[in-house]
Amino acid sequence: MSVLTNIKRKMFSEQATPYVLLLPAVIMILIVVLFPLIFSLYTSFTGYKLTRPDTLFKIVGFRNYVRIFSDWDFWVAFFRTVGFLAVVINLEFLLGLGIALLINKVTWGQRTMRTIMMFPMMFSPILVGFQFKFIFNDNVGILNNALQALGITDAAIPWLVDGWLAMGAIAFAEIWMSTSIFAILLLAGLFAMPKDPLEAAQVDGCNAWQTFRHITLPFLMPFAYIAMTIRSLDVARAYDVVDTMTGGGPAGRTELLWTLIARTGYDSANMGMANAMAYVSIILSIAFTYYFFSKLVAARRYMGGAQ
Amino acid sequence: MGLFSKLSTALLAGATAVTMFAGGASAGEFDGYTLRVKLIGGAQYEPLYTRIPEWEAATGAKVEILSRKNHFELDREIKQDIASGSINWCVGSNHTSFAPQYGSLYVDLNVILPDDVIGSISNNVNKASTVDGRLVQLARHSDVSNLYYIKSLYEDEKNQADFKAEYGYDLAPPETWDQVKDQAIFFADPPNFYGTQYVGKDEGISGRFYEMLVAEGGSFFGSDGKVAFNSEEGVRALQWFVDLYEAKAVPAGVPNYLWDETGLGFASGTVALSLDWGGWASFFNSADSKIQGDVGLIRAPKGSSGKRTGWSGSHSFSITEACDNKQAAASFITFLTNFDSQMVEARTGLLPTRPDALEAIIEESKAKGDDWLVHVFETFGTSMAEDAFAVPPTHLWIPISNELFPQLQAAIVGEKTAQQALDDAAAAANQLIEDES
Repeated sequence: MSVLTNIKRKMFSEQATPYVLLLPAVIMILIVVLFPLIFSLYTSFTGYKLTRPDTLFKIVGFRNYVRIFSDWDFWVAFFRTVGFLAVVINLEFLLGLGIALLINKVTWGQRTMRTIMMFPMMFSPILVGFQFKFIFNDNVGILNNALQALGITDAAIPWLVDGWLAMGAIAFAEIWMSTSIFAILLLAGLFAMPKDPLEAAQVDGCNAWQTFRHITLPFLMPFAYIAMTIRSLDVARAYDVVDTMTGGGPAGRTELLWTLIARTGYDSANMGMANAMAYVSIILSIAFTYYFFSKLVAARRYMGGAQ
Repeated sequence: MGLFSKLSTALLAGATAVTMFAGGASAGEFDGYTLRVKLIGGAQYEPLYTRIPEWEAATGAKVEILSRKNHFELDREIKQDIASGSINWCVGSNHTSFAPQYGSLYVDLNVILPDDVIGSISNNVNKASTVDGRLVQLARHSDVSNLYYIKSLYEDEKNQADFKAEYGYDLAPPETWDQVKDQAIFFADPPNFYGTQYVGKDEGISGRFYEMLVAEGGSFFGSDGKVAFNSEEGVRALQWFVDLYEAKAVPAGVPNYLWDETGLGFASGTVALSLDWGGWASFFNSADSKIQGDVGLIRAPKGSSGKRTGWSGSHSFSITEACDNKQAAASFITFLTNFDSQMVEARTGLLPTRPDALEAIIEESKAKGDDWLVHVFETFGTSMAEDAFAVPPTHLWIPISNELFPQLQAAIVGEKTAQQALDDAAAAANQLIEDES
């Protein structure tokens, strides 16, 4: 009895209160995040097949990882994903910046423009995938028919077959769908921007480019890095677009980590191997997130006048 | 005695009518029960589900549709359910290509369905629906592919003369796949017109290769249990696809085509010959198609072994082992595959799995004077009875297909030779088989 009273007293002591209050959140995080992470890490050392629960206990050691490290196709998909992320995120940033600057200049109908700008985000990625799949279809697609009708080409351009063209088509669809995320965040940055430095720059005789380069852009960079961090994690949404448009093919030419892992884990039911692939690819997410956060910290420091 | 006999007969007739209506269930038999089901969704599958309220009214049960997705998504969901041990539903849509993967998820219908219900479905279809000796699915409709062609191309006298001069034999709808190749190359005029086309990715191209392999006299698995598709016959089969692609007789995008692209492509009037299933037949000859009134159909051609291609599958219903009311589930799938249900699907052009429904739809089409549908059902009926064969009955079919199709694509787009591609696919497939053991 006295022991219980002791525990109660300790639990409700003033020092313990913050920990007790945090406990539900910690428990939730453990259940929602940590447990699945540990479970999937465990399964990556097994020959776990989704359709055969008994294989959950079939330990195969590092075999899945050994196969991944010697699998050329996996590493091609890995570095293709790095390239895709780098190109798509940078282009989305540039286009989003342009749209944000233009909308910021609009004095009439700005709210309507902002709403219209967000339309592509409202479509499901699967619908976007189907839409662009038919636009880029070599035989009955709108694009080839338009190019042929305008006399620009008399060939059926294999948009979704040629490796570079197919990646370009997928990147185009992804950029179309998600550029507005950058535009919205950068527009928020522009709205929050103080007018004094801009007026001071004008008084000092800076031209438009100098004002943009040395005042507007540095102010916007923390917003840009936040957007990039979000997008680098969120761009995996592109799975549906890639899966619908090319399925990672033909001949693996547009294979990204997400299509490879999903096919291995779900279609082939080889979840042990898929989780091992996912753990190796986490390196990619950590690298991108670390890079953007370090850039964000640097940009904030710059804005704080440390440099 | 006479009155009693009449009364008995009347009661029996009434009971039979209810039984026939409900597909095996007595009125109110499942009062208050909710049957949880996961069904394949999509325009071609939905008309059948309009009959579900009839079954509900007849049995007193309610049907709760938990999922209504395309089969690939449904397959993923079912696999997740198996993995998480959350099989809290009774009836699921299934397919002969997918069924072997699900292990003991579904019951053996031989045990819970009356023989007359099973016997009402075509023997061939039931055979393909059997996995390890267990009938795990009751088929609602089948798919097998036959060759559609544009008739006017063959009637054109200039085409006939030019073809004869170039190939040395008369231009007529092809009897062999070699003739298809000749004619496809002859008709092709890219980018405006193509000789033929094929589905070029996922299980679609694996299945097309598989049926061509069989028609060439090869087999997918060897007697040692390993894959044997990288044989001489396999190379010949794959080379057919490669040659057409190299000759630009097929659209450049075919490695990325699935069923919608080939169907819509043929209906656009830009393709001379197209191997496809019966589900498109009505659409090809409708006002929405540019080849309305100009479509011909013949049985799938033969390979060099003399055997016709006939990769076939059936969409079906299965009952889970975990189901808490298997009788209700059995009644439900019996109802959805009974004569009236199959007629609903047949009127949309789908091929019934019941011989009596096939006969009836042919008669109905004759009565309406719809010669095209009569020809379609006769052709597909013959093909189903004589040429059809399912994929190898192994749970590794889909995983092996996932290793095979990127290699087939690599050969088609010229990255590898046919032999190299098949050897690489065979190595990966054999590794899967070894892992299993």
